[in-house]
Amino acid sequence: MSEYWILAAILLPIFGGVLTLLIPFKNRKIMMCYLEIVMLTTSAIVWKLILNGTTEVFHIIHFVEDLSISFKIDSISMIFAGLVSLLWPLAVLYSFEYMEHEEREKIFFMFYSITYGITLGIAFASDLLSMYFFYELLTLSTVPLVLHTLKREAVLASRKYLYYSIGGAAFAMIGLVFVIIYGVTCEFQLGGVLDMALIGERKNLLLWVYLLAFMGFGVKAAIWPMGSWLPDAGVAPTPVTALLHAVAVVKAGVFAMIRLTYYSFGPSFLRGTWVQNVVMGFAMFTILYGCSMAVKETHLKRRLAYSTISNLSYIIFGITLMTPLGLAGALCHLICHAVMKINAFFCAGAFMQKTGKSYIYEMDGVGRKMPIVFGCFTVSALGLMGVPGLAGFISKWNLASAAVESMNVQAYFGIGCLLASALLTAIYMMNTVIHAFFPGKDFNYGTLAGVTDPSWKMCLPLLVFSISVAVLGIFSGPLVHFLREAAGV
Amino acid sequence: MVIGSMNDAIIMLAAICFPILFGAVILLMPEFSSRNRLLGAVGTGLLVTGILALLTLGSGEAGICLFSLGEKLEIFFRLDNLGRIFIVIVTIIWILAGFYSFEYMKHEKEEKRYFGFYLMTFGVLLALDLAGNIVTYYLFYEMMTLLSVPLVLHSKTREALMGGLKYLFYSLCGAYMVLMGLFFLNRYATTLTFTAGGTLNGELTAGNEKVLLVVVFFMILGFGVKAGMFPMHAWLPTAHPVAPAPASSVLSGLIVKAGVLGVIRTVYFLFGESFIRGTWVQTAWMTLSLITVFMGSMLAYREKIMKKRLAYSTVSQLSYILFGLALLQGEAMTGALLHVVFHAFIKSALFLSAGAIIYKTGRTNVDDMTGIGKEMPVTIWCYTFASLALIGIPPASGFISKWYLAEGALSSGTGIFTWLGPVVLLVSALLTAGYLLPITIKGFLPGADFDYGSLQKREPNLWMVIPLIVLALLSVVLGIFPNPLTEYIRTIVSTVL
Repeated sequence: MSEYWILAAILLPIFGGVLTLLIPFKNRKIMMCYLEIVMLTTSAIVWKLILNGTTEVFHIIHFVEDLSISFKIDSISMIFAGLVSLLWPLAVLYSFEYMEHEEREKIFFMFYSITYGITLGIAFASDLLSMYFFYELLTLSTVPLVLHTLKREAVLASRKYLYYSIGGAAFAMIGLVFVIIYGVTCEFQLGGVLDMALIGERKNLLLWVYLLAFMGFGVKAAIWPMGSWLPDAGVAPTPVTALLHAVAVVKAGVFAMIRLTYYSFGPSFLRGTWVQNVVMGFAMFTILYGCSMAVKETHLKRRLAYSTISNLSYIIFGITLMTPLGLAGALCHLICHAVMKINAFFCAGAFMQKTGKSYIYEMDGVGRKMPIVFGCFTVSALGLMGVPGLAGFISKWNLASAAVESMNVQAYFGIGCLLASALLTAIYMMNTVIHAFFPGKDFNYGTLAGVTDPSWKMCLPLLVFSISVAVLGIFSGPLVHFLREAAGV
Repeated sequence: MVIGSMNDAIIMLAAICFPILFGAVILLMPEFSSRNRLLGAVGTGLLVTGILALLTLGSGEAGICLFSLGEKLEIFFRLDNLGRIFIVIVTIIWILAGFYSFEYMKHEKEEKRYFGFYLMTFGVLLALDLAGNIVTYYLFYEMMTLLSVPLVLHSKTREALMGGLKYLFYSLCGAYMVLMGLFFLNRYATTLTFTAGGTLNGELTAGNEKVLLVVVFFMILGFGVKAGMFPMHAWLPTAHPVAPAPASSVLSGLIVKAGVLGVIRTVYFLFGESFIRGTWVQTAWMTLSLITVFMGSMLAYREKIMKKRLAYSTVSQLSYILFGLALLQGEAMTGALLHVVFHAFIKSALFLSAGAIIYKTGRTNVDDMTGIGKEMPVTIWCYTFASLALIGIPPASGFISKWYLAEGALSSGTGIFTWLGPVVLLVSALLTAGYLLPITIKGFLPGADFDYGSLQKREPNLWMVIPLIVLALLSVVLGIFPNPLTEYIRTIVSTVL
């Protein structure tokens, strides 16, 4: 029975989204209720599935022999699906106020809703092929969202995004083919599915293939040097940047990397090989690269985008440890970063929408005028810096403990990168906060007349996220326990 | 989980939570209708906290584990003798400087914010002194940094903002070095709870000593940032002087000591002194602290702005303490702990007198202070007594601690450092005299051609003078009757060495 619920969770937002365009709504309010109901129902179904526990594989379409589109729920699909299902309804709520002044909102909400279904598809896919299918769909459904404003830079950004993603997927495809040929099956199994007897002498070839596939998925996870589409894609409306470019799309890339590394090639096949050094090296470099660029950047949303690049590579670093603890740390940061970064982006969006400004140096004094928004922003900033008691500390703790535990000397330097990056994070985030709250002695608040906190539709998600950042930081026990079990520690 | 009596544990928690919550409430409340109401509230907060803090001292071996942030990440408080000493100095100085602020902050704006953060930082410092494991210590260490930043950038001038940011980034840099150590300790130590003699797990450690030595060095360096140790000292002379004077006095007298306490906890209570004795870490640590002693004094000597000069002096004096700890020798450690106490009183007194001068005359440059002793005799006498104590002229307090430091160095068996240490300390003491005393000399003896007619009585009122007198007296009297304190410190030292 639960097989059909999976299908329902994926299809409901897709068809619900298409219907948004077709139904002639009387006014905005009704459309808002309709969409929110679709979102909440979908999330309810997802949570019902999660609470029911893991399921058997469910094939819906057979292509040939064992190639099929099929679904299954295992612990890490629960984590990813559970995460996006909590964020999506809140993000839609936020969008209602944000999109008020934008045109073509129906199209926007259609694709926004469709993307939800596709992301769930990635989470529930039970083998590399099905995941690849939804992965490509994700690219296609999000391009219109980046394009939304139809300005020149939006056109350029969406084109860049499209080329990068399709190119990356092509490399990932190579990995897919090799896993199908050399694997016992192409279904995901923790520990990998490669058939050692088949590989024989060709181990090095497989390692090269892994590298290509890893970097291919790395495009969406914005690993250096393939991450430059991400800051550019910040021209999209903030709900897109916040949810898709800090959580759904980029984390889909990371999720795919986890599936590739731990569920297809298998960490025991990769651990200790040259390819581990290479991918870990890329992750470490990206961590530093992302936050150095963030320090340099003065556009608020682009700064946050670079911060995302750096934080995604924290997760990738955890993955490349190739140990169960590393995976647990990576999953932990996947969740914590999602909440912190979506919060930061939403605050940035509220600031941009209320003041019409978008650069850090224009933020002087807004902290006093928008106390809720910048209070929440500060929570996110402190969380990203890794102040104990907030979510970022827990995930950093887990990642770094895993690195120490792995007894890999390169990973020790990785810890150094994490901490150096935390310091740079402090520089670029606290600098922003100080601008907002301490504008300098002779600042004239008259220039900010009329700027206030937004309505509850925007504030509620912010408060929910900020409180979650604190709760995750203080009561992390059960979550970490669950993640460790999922990672097979 | 509670160790010892429940009542003691509750008092301990109250001493920590009350000022933090009270400060937060003051921050969140709308503006007070009158200044007196604000001061009344703050005064009550300070006194209640003071009483609670003193009550904790009376309790026996009490401890409480509040909850876990995660596996092994326990928030755990426990009182020990080392903590007691820190609690006493924090409480005395914090309350005195708080009352001093009542008058001093009149000429600054946004007092509510200042006092709110001032009270919260008080609670955080008490929590640091009571922290029973390194995780708790780290948590409150970060909180202390974040909460004291608003004190530094209070005046909101460009200079203050830059100073505040510099303070923040240097401190965080240090904190992250410490965090690096935590990750490794989490694996290689049997427990993260502070235990005299160290908690390293011998089995796991075997074969990984090289990595762990690097780690302990990072931790010393990291805590050393707060204590102004070379090469991460540069924030201190920028940040301390831009804060309002009472804030500079607690920053320079107490908050820097949190770095010292961190080093003590790390070296003597986690890694264990035997782990680093005779290794390159000890040598590097001694070298860095001696460089800092000398450099700080030199820089103070050529600095003309009074508060900056005092800040450089803090850099130098803190490294006396660090050097004493680095020797890993009983007498030296006694000297270091004595110097913690003495320097706290002395430096707060010095900063408060500098504040009194700024408040009354607006002068900041030492060259402008000719004749100041005639105008503010009580302030300058207090300044002079504190200066004599810092230089180490017997029987004032600084002499005692430096005596133990030198004696410890001579019998430490650390090669070249046995004689190099005392020599550097001596040279630095001369420089200390050179940079502190000119104010007294010029202040009281302005010279024959001085225009006495323009002098006026400018002594500040009792809110400012009494704290100053108390602190100056303490810095002298503790030197005359050092025995009870010395004996008490010896009991601490004997548990770890």
